[in-house]
Amino acid sequence: MRSLGIGFWIALALAAAGFLIVPTMIMNAPTEPVMGFVQKIFYFHVPCAIMLFLSTFVCAGGSVAFLFKASERGDRIAVAAAELSVLFGICVLTSGPLWGRKAWGVWWQWDARLTSSLLLFLILNGYLLARRYGGPAGKKLAAALSLFAAVDVPLVYKSVDIWRTVHPRTTVVPTLDPRMRPAFWSAFALMLLVWSLLLALRVRLENARAELAELRLEAEDLLEAAS
Amino acid sequence: MRKKIRARLNRFVAVVAGALCWLAPALARAQEFEKVSGAVREELPGGRFVAAAYGFIWIAVLVYVVSIARGLGRVREDLGALKKRLDRAGPRP
Repeated sequence: MRSLGIGFWIALALAAAGFLIVPTMIMNAPTEPVMGFVQKIFYFHVPCAIMLFLSTFVCAGGSVAFLFKASERGDRIAVAAAELSVLFGICVLTSGPLWGRKAWGVWWQWDARLTSSLLLFLILNGYLLARRYGGPAGKKLAAALSLFAAVDVPLVYKSVDIWRTVHPRTTVVPTLDPRMRPAFWSAFALMLLVWSLLLALRVRLENARAELAELRLEAEDLLEAAS
Repeated sequence: MRKKIRARLNRFVAVVAGALCWLAPALARAQEFEKVSGAVREELPGGRFVAAAYGFIWIAVLVYVVSIARGLGRVREDLGALKKRLDRAGPRP
C-alpha cells in the first residue's frame, strides 16, 4: 500500500482547525427569532444533506462507468460514495427530526421532502445490500439502483417547491441573513473537506482490497507451480 | 308503581344535574386556554436538541473513520500473512 500524500495531511490539518473554528462561528451567528436556538442545527443539517446529494451523484457516475465501460475503478469509487451517502443520510435523518421536534412539535411528518429523503436513503441502503448479498450479479444490480437514487435527488430537492410541506423551502439558503452566511459557508466547507477525506480513505481501502485479491490469485498460481 | 319509578327518575336527574353544576367550572377550565403569567419560557430547551444533533453527526463520522482504519489494518495483516506464506514456500520459479 502506498503512503498517504501530503495533500491528505494538509486537508486533515485544515479539518482539525475547522472543528475548532466552525462551532465558534455558529455560536456567534445571530439566533433566529421564530425558532430560537434550535435553528443552529441548520448549519450542519443542510451541509450534510448536500453531501448526501453529492455522494449519490458520485456513486451514480462511478456506476455508469462500471456499467458501460466495465471500469473497476468506477465501481470502487461508487461503493465508497454509496457508503458516504448512507453515512450522511443517517446524519440528515437524525438531525432533521431533532430540529423538527422542537420547531414543529413532532419528530416526523410524512410530507414530500421527508418521505423522498427517506426513500433516497433506503435506495442507497439497497445498493449496499445488493452488493453484499446479490451474488455474482450483485454489482450490476447495485449500479442500476444507484441510477434510481440519482434520479430521486432532484425530486428530493424540488419537493418543497412542488408540494405543500412543513419543511422550509429551497429559498432559505439564497436568502440567508448576511450575518448567518459566514457560519453556514464555513460549516459547508468543513463538511466538504471531511467528505473528501472520507472518500479518499474509503477508495484507498477498496483499492487495497482489490490489490490483495489480485496478489492472492498470483500467490495461488506460484504456490501451485512450486509444489 | 309508575309514581315510584318517576320519583326515582326525578331523583336521579337531580343528582346528575347537581354533579354537573358542581363539576362545570373544572370542565370549563380543561377546555380553555390558560393565560400565561410572567415571562414566557420554553418547554423544550433547544440547546439539548442542538447538542444531540451535533454530537450524533460527529460520532457517526468518527465511527466510520474507525471502521475504515480497521479495514485497512485487516488488509495490511492479510498482506503480511500472504508474504510469509510465499517466503515459506521457497524461491519463486
